[in-house]
Amino acid sequence: MSARDVLTGLIPNLAVVFRLQAVIFCAAVPSVTTATDATSLIVIPQNVLLQGPEASDQIVVLRSTEAGTVDITGQVQFEWPQQSIAEVLPGGRILPRTEGTAELRIRDQQLVADISVTVSGLLDPEPVSFHADVLPVLTRAGCNSGGCHGRAEGQNGFRLSVFGSDPGADHAALVSEGRGRRVFAAVPENSLLLRKATAEIPHGGGQKFSAGSRWYRMLRRWISEGMQLDSAEEDDVVRLRVQPEQMVLTAGMHRQLRVLAELRDGSFRPITAECDFESNQDDVADVDSQGQVTGVDVPGEAAILVRYAGHVTISRVIRPQPESTFQRPAENNFVDRLVWDRLQLLGIPVGQPADDATYLRRVFLDVTGTLPTPAEVREFLADTRSDRREQIVRDLMQRPEYASFWAQRWADLLRVDKDIIAPEGAVGMTRWIRSRIETNQPYDQFVREILTAGGSTFAASPAGFFQVHATPEDLARSTSQLFLGVRIECAQCHHHPFERWGQEDYFAWAGFFTGVKSSAQPGGGSKIRGLAGKPMAHPRTGVEIAPAPLGSAPASLSAEMDWREGVSDWMTSRDNPWFARMIANRMWSWYFGRGLVEPIDDLRSTNPASNEPLLDALAEHLVELNFDLQQFALLLTQSAVYQLDASTVAGNSTDDRNGSHALWRPLQAEVLLDAVSQATGTAAEFNGWPLGYRAIEIWDNKLPSRFLSVFGRPQRQTVCSCERGMEPSIAQALHLMNSETTLQQITSRHGRCAKLAESDQSPSEIIDELYLCTLSRFPSDAERQAMLPTFSEAASRSEAIQDLLWVLLNTREFVFNH
Amino acid sequence: MAKTFKRTRANKSGRRDLLRIGGTGLLQGLSLPALLQLQAEAALPSTAKAKSCIFFMLEGGPSHIDMWDLKPDAPKEIRGPYSPISTVVPGTQISELLPMSAGITDRLTILRSHSHKDNAHQTGRHWVLTGYPPSFADGQAKGIPFNELYPSIGSIVSRELGPRGAVPPYIEIPNALGPGGPGFYGARFAPFTISNDPVQADFRVPDLEIPNAVSRDRFERRQRLLKQAERLGKSSEAAGGAATLGEYYSRAVDLVTAPEARRAFDLQAENPDVRERYGFSSIGQCALMARRLVEAGCRFIGIDNGSWDTHFDNFSSHEKTLVPPTDRALTALITDLDDRGMLDETLVVMMGEMGRTPRINKDAGRDHWSQCQTVILAGGGIRRGVVVGASDETASYPVTQPYGIQDLLRTIFHLLGVDADRVYQTPTGRPVPIVNGGHRIDEVLA
Repeated sequence: MSARDVLTGLIPNLAVVFRLQAVIFCAAVPSVTTATDATSLIVIPQNVLLQGPEASDQIVVLRSTEAGTVDITGQVQFEWPQQSIAEVLPGGRILPRTEGTAELRIRDQQLVADISVTVSGLLDPEPVSFHADVLPVLTRAGCNSGGCHGRAEGQNGFRLSVFGSDPGADHAALVSEGRGRRVFAAVPENSLLLRKATAEIPHGGGQKFSAGSRWYRMLRRWISEGMQLDSAEEDDVVRLRVQPEQMVLTAGMHRQLRVLAELRDGSFRPITAECDFESNQDDVADVDSQGQVTGVDVPGEAAILVRYAGHVTISRVIRPQPESTFQRPAENNFVDRLVWDRLQLLGIPVGQPADDATYLRRVFLDVTGTLPTPAEVREFLADTRSDRREQIVRDLMQRPEYASFWAQRWADLLRVDKDIIAPEGAVGMTRWIRSRIETNQPYDQFVREILTAGGSTFAASPAGFFQVHATPEDLARSTSQLFLGVRIECAQCHHHPFERWGQEDYFAWAGFFTGVKSSAQPGGGSKIRGLAGKPMAHPRTGVEIAPAPLGSAPASLSAEMDWREGVSDWMTSRDNPWFARMIANRMWSWYFGRGLVEPIDDLRSTNPASNEPLLDALAEHLVELNFDLQQFALLLTQSAVYQLDASTVAGNSTDDRNGSHALWRPLQAEVLLDAVSQATGTAAEFNGWPLGYRAIEIWDNKLPSRFLSVFGRPQRQTVCSCERGMEPSIAQALHLMNSETTLQQITSRHGRCAKLAESDQSPSEIIDELYLCTLSRFPSDAERQAMLPTFSEAASRSEAIQDLLWVLLNTREFVFNH
Repeated sequence: MAKTFKRTRANKSGRRDLLRIGGTGLLQGLSLPALLQLQAEAALPSTAKAKSCIFFMLEGGPSHIDMWDLKPDAPKEIRGPYSPISTVVPGTQISELLPMSAGITDRLTILRSHSHKDNAHQTGRHWVLTGYPPSFADGQAKGIPFNELYPSIGSIVSRELGPRGAVPPYIEIPNALGPGGPGFYGARFAPFTISNDPVQADFRVPDLEIPNAVSRDRFERRQRLLKQAERLGKSSEAAGGAATLGEYYSRAVDLVTAPEARRAFDLQAENPDVRERYGFSSIGQCALMARRLVEAGCRFIGIDNGSWDTHFDNFSSHEKTLVPPTDRALTALITDLDDRGMLDETLVVMMGEMGRTPRINKDAGRDHWSQCQTVILAGGGIRRGVVVGASDETASYPVTQPYGIQDLLRTIFHLLGVDADRVYQTPTGRPVPIVNGGHRIDEVLA
């Protein structure tokens, strides 16, 4: 087992993790340890090499004991036994002063460690590089961000490319534009660039750095050296290396990061001071602008994003819950093993298993978007088969509600919008999706059919996808986000700030869709044809870019073929790095209420999953299943993790991402409306539709319905799963409370209340029935006793029943899946 | 809760982040009202002059040259049939179509140099109400709201200031403003839309009133029972969005039952003379409702008023149907607010997404003209009794410093005490400042 396996969660012993961290530091960079008994100092790095006037490095000092490793950089003394050749700031940042080599002693009470420091390049420095030095400063100071000079129209006449994506233009903007006032080689200090950035003269963006700071000196030297524009090839950074790549922090504990740029020649350049740091979960771990990470309140895992001149990497932080003993529950399948591993590592206890009634309601809603009827609840609770929880899922997948529900979900994502593809198109496309769900078509084939769709948009076909996404750019953005979780849209205009994607990647990908032709049909609708296209041009340079899959070499395409096949072949191949992960994550979010990666369709390497080994294993398993989504859903629903109760136990109530208990999840608008209708025993009226249709069957995404709009029906304007409004609002609360239509359903002469009132059932039996039809369970004795007096307080038996049903429909237990 | 990389420490601390972390469970134990209280306390920066804003959106684009910025010396095909009249402020003249407003110009700033470059309706409204150009072309907006990404002024105000009374902080009336939605801020900051017109005799706020079939006693019994059912059942353990809905439900009960909230929405309770003074028109009764909502603590009321797109018969439309009720409503509102001592803390803005072409077209209409528009500002820290800016001899372009949309929004936020430079990130991680650029219009500030 590798150290990496341990750190990603397979070995839960925290002490081991602490130790291995130390091993990793040692492996990454030589360090000195001076042992006194069980306590030792670890200093990173052993050799500091500062080349050039603006160079700097980050010294990190750790104290390692049996109990673990602690960052003490801020507490130690730095001493120069021979001569002082550099300045060490209190946080461990080291800056050059005079050329030479000397020992630097680090003292922590009795413990001492020496490291070697070499300073060179001060007397005859290398010229400042525009690419490697100046642009990173402009990025780090925020000059070229989208809110400042990086805006398309610039700021007050000074325009830079966003994040330095167009170095040539930026150089021209600095040197040639602005009547040459921005830089002034004869007296660099008089350059507008420096005077504005230091706020020596009024600057709308305020002071970005102070005169004399490293950034200031770097820019000043670049100006005095004649504002050279070095060629782009001189950016010789291959990748970033951050130390540590993994860490374990408790609340309030600190850990300083050190960042190195790995250069093409294999050497490293310390760049901690040049990097931007951001946390993706700052309630778990926070980071400051110097790269010091601090554990915060919520146990879990965070990723610290490190950004430098278009390169990114992450350092992962595990924030365990202290002082917990972990009871490891039994495992049903590998999902449980990997979730328990994670919870054990984090010290988060597992909650209670859900009872049969809770499980039944959950799988009905998750698999079919429909509540169980009272009869179905009674039947299941009487079922003694040991595999009843699996059998019910198999049964549910054969029901028409299953196909309707999942077809509606995919119709949202594929943007079946009747305003764009006409009602006939919306019907056709919905029918096509539904038929594929019914036959459990393997997902890779489903996507292949979409990507290569052709023919009439009015047919039962996904051809309408190419009408709602009418341009290569539209298709590039939507297909990558929808099927791969790659959000490449940033790269249409500038280098993606958190990813490797640049404009070349964007237009290489969009090029595949240039052969899509749409022509109006005589009978209405459009005919879609996929032909060979032509490469797209880079918007800045005008150079043609051969179509290429994301992160891959250009595809071999011919003038005779449908170029979209280049996309679908690559996308659905077994070794595509995103395809299986994306649908695995999407399915997980559908069944558990939260993706392992969030947002679910943003699978950046810099946005890791809450449980990476689990997402890896799920994706691999899905490939083994040949993308059989029903089998996959069985795996998920039969895990012990899925079958946990939503109630919490001491120590896991703040966990909403590691699977220690089930989550409270809002029902989507259509499902909630159907639940109200089923519970009241009536049918909701949909304008122009025959009575009796369920909301999950409606293909018309613009059907007027106050209920559906208040509860967040999506507009189908994007392929983003975020479009469906799942956040609660006051309007929802008011609608639950006072809706006239719900009231009519409750009081309907043909509804459940009326039937119960006319029946000879006792009040107690009626209360049972009402709980069964809404909350899918029997009431407790306490609940029954609390509800019974209504029958004497209300004006009539039927009023009492109406009141009780109204009450149950207004409980959050009804409105949510849990 | 889905999160993306945020900016580093310097940019992100602040009271609003309390809400953002709601999904992580940190809110447990802190009720929504308590949270809102925290926010309200934290949310009173020194620049705040206005506690609330009433925003009239005259959809389609009012004709500035026929209302506020007349050019009597321009050629006939430009100046139109109306004469300027003197107003209570010596030297300030407006159109004879606005005889009532002539009596309140001492309380207005008439900003004649608003100018921008989006000459279409949906895209222009998107610009005005969000401060950002939309990603769609005009006519392509689907559904309402159509600000898919960028939040509207009301949602921003709602997020930054929160409620200060029983009513929701952001209310739209008599229907949703096209781009009045919360964009990427999410449903929590969506407007409460009163999709009924208060001028209608049977006006009511949807879902706000207990249905007639349910007596007051019965409603109370149901609420009592509901509390028991929630306490005894699984709802007692509700977390995440379910916990939030519980807080909203309590607020909704307050809204339905609290006398002050009910009174705010009950126009029948208003003195008939006052209703008459505002005029029995949509804009008049909406203005009156707005005043009542401000009294109840609403932060931002967006009034949508349509049909100003007068490509045909510009003059008869303005003269007969559009301007008189607007003149009456504006005059009554400003006077009423002032009489009640509320004007100084209530910002009133009246504008369209554009002005109208100075040159009269062949259909006796005026077409779209975003290059020059007059914006009416009053109260809440706005100067009284001035005309700011001027247009050229045909009211085509400002001849003084033109003020664009960002300038205007920055000024509105300044008066409300909202930091216009605050940055939030979209779901894709793009940093979006509340207002991107622009300069505060100091000339209009008191």
